[in-house]
Amino acid sequence: MHGGGSGTRHEHAGQPVTAVGTASAADRGRQPVAGGVIEADALTVRYGMITALDALTVTVHAGVTGLVGANGAGKSTLIKVLLGLLNPTAGQAAVFGRDCATDGFEIRTMTGYMPEHDCLPPDVTATELMTHLGRMSGLPATAARERAADSLRHVGLYEERYRQIGTYSTGMKQRVKLAQALVGDPQLLLLDEPTNGLDPAGRNQMLELIARIGAEFAISILVASHLLGEIEQICDHLVAIDSGRLLRADSVSSITQASPVVFVEVDDGLPELQAELARRGLRPVGYQRGLLIEVDGPEAYDMIRDVVADLGLPLIRMAQRRHRIEELFRADPAMIEVTGATSVS
Amino acid sequence: MSADAAGSVIHDIGYRRYTGQRLGRARIVSALAVQSLRSAFGIGRGAKAKIFPILLFVMMCLPAIVSIAAMALNPHQGRLFSYDTYQPALRALVLLVFVALQAPNLVSGDLRYHTLPLYFARPISRTDYPIAKLIGFTAACLAMIEIPLLILWVGTISQVHGASAVWHQTRALGPGLLYGLAWSVLLASIGLVLASSTGKRVFSICAVAVPLFITWILATVLSHIGLQIFKPASGGTPPALASLAGLINPFAVMGGIAEWFGSAPKVIYARAALAGRGPGPGPGPGPLVNLVGHFGLLYGVMFLIMLAVAIGGLLVRYRKVGIA
Repeated sequence: MHGGGSGTRHEHAGQPVTAVGTASAADRGRQPVAGGVIEADALTVRYGMITALDALTVTVHAGVTGLVGANGAGKSTLIKVLLGLLNPTAGQAAVFGRDCATDGFEIRTMTGYMPEHDCLPPDVTATELMTHLGRMSGLPATAARERAADSLRHVGLYEERYRQIGTYSTGMKQRVKLAQALVGDPQLLLLDEPTNGLDPAGRNQMLELIARIGAEFAISILVASHLLGEIEQICDHLVAIDSGRLLRADSVSSITQASPVVFVEVDDGLPELQAELARRGLRPVGYQRGLLIEVDGPEAYDMIRDVVADLGLPLIRMAQRRHRIEELFRADPAMIEVTGATSVS
Repeated sequence: MSADAAGSVIHDIGYRRYTGQRLGRARIVSALAVQSLRSAFGIGRGAKAKIFPILLFVMMCLPAIVSIAAMALNPHQGRLFSYDTYQPALRALVLLVFVALQAPNLVSGDLRYHTLPLYFARPISRTDYPIAKLIGFTAACLAMIEIPLLILWVGTISQVHGASAVWHQTRALGPGLLYGLAWSVLLASIGLVLASSTGKRVFSICAVAVPLFITWILATVLSHIGLQIFKPASGGTPPALASLAGLINPFAVMGGIAEWFGSAPKVIYARAALAGRGPGPGPGPGPLVNLVGHFGLLYGVMFLIMLAVAIGGLLVRYRKVGIA
């Protein structure tokens, strides 16, 4: 079903909408970029007295990468530098090997950007806005119309595309913002807090959408978020920054490969449980109204269950948590709000 | 899975990559300029958005239509209005309203709704955007000014006889079109720089209308005062105040330029005052003298200064605008 080069046929106007096989990375002909999609080298940005990025050196590879950090950590500043909209005070950044300080035009031709804040005019239809912004991305008129319809379909707004954006819900507006980033057929998406203002259901939809774009459309994505737990679900790699400095950059799998953590919450008798678990050789750590326990094998789960049962405690919850990913930030109290999971031991 | 099942709904067609041509910066700017031109006339918006532009355009065409009708009814009647100054008071008034109402449509929305980051994240620079807007709005003002001139010209040559008469009309039209272009670019740049001062549409309208209107009134009043208080010296040179008052307002500057080039109709009150009669008895033509007197060149210089300040201000505005 993958017609060879099927993705190249749609520029002919008036061609009926036909099923085109999901383009894989291979038949879209995108070569992995040597050295990474994004490279920052000792990147420093100062606004007067404030240092927004502090000698940040990081390489982002193809795939979906999370850019995590608290509000004000420098995520948006990094994105502006990558788009060539902000010149670094020192150091360098490159996207697809092109210098952000000098080749902004080229980079912006290949990159889609979804801003954090509201940016949509309410008095035009989604189709009009997408078509216009497609043209602003350098598409000819016919192609812009086609890609406007396509990108609205991809974000699930095809039925509503002739409605004025002012009538859309917050979730729909976020999806329009994502669609406009896609309309120019970018090779890289820079998404700034894409789940901002969404309810839990909307968040999940948005995350699924982003994951799908990364996996099926073979577009590299950098997602900035202050909600680590949220974007780790969809990312291959994570870049954690704080106060403009790199905390850690690694693949999610290598970060989460380490021994998992179980969170146990009981209605009563938490101290007894902690003492008993410690006696049996585990290292329970108080966290919120429960305990975090590092487990190194399946027998540890049984042991925890048995201890709870032996003590006759009313168990509320026993859930697996990732440990080390949150440990990224544990050393730094400023990051508590990011992870929401800091040990209080 | 094939798509030949006609009528079936295909929800997921997969991602289609765009492999066609990508337009360069110049073509993107021209696309934005065309879109701006359209929005200046409410094209692509609802019927309500078109009411004022159409009304103003029709008003602007009235002198041409009257002139053509007069020529048709009376074969000895010549063209009523010149191609360059046309009907200056009407032109100034219509353009004042047009610029005040429509310039905000081009720029205030993108500021109000923070849409600019979507532009600047594309292959568009911070100077490309205002330049495209300026080109689009200049074209809109040009249409308002010059389509009536062309109507006047077509109507006139259809009623004159002989190739030389047609040639005469066409030669007269040329400077008129050039002068119209000067009007357009000056008003478009001033309108846009004032309108882009705020994202709120109503304030934006006021930001354009109030300065243009007040300086216009002030220029008129000052030149009146100049003529009434300081009687002209013999030889019919108007007093300096009357000559220079117009420099504070773009409409008056354009009027001054027309007088500088010697094609303006002589102002009635000026004629009376300059004749030394004042409001006294006895009508009758005094010596016909240009209001700008010896200061014509100054009006040309002022035109360039206003243009440079407005365009420069517009570029600075978008260099500084925040992109959150």
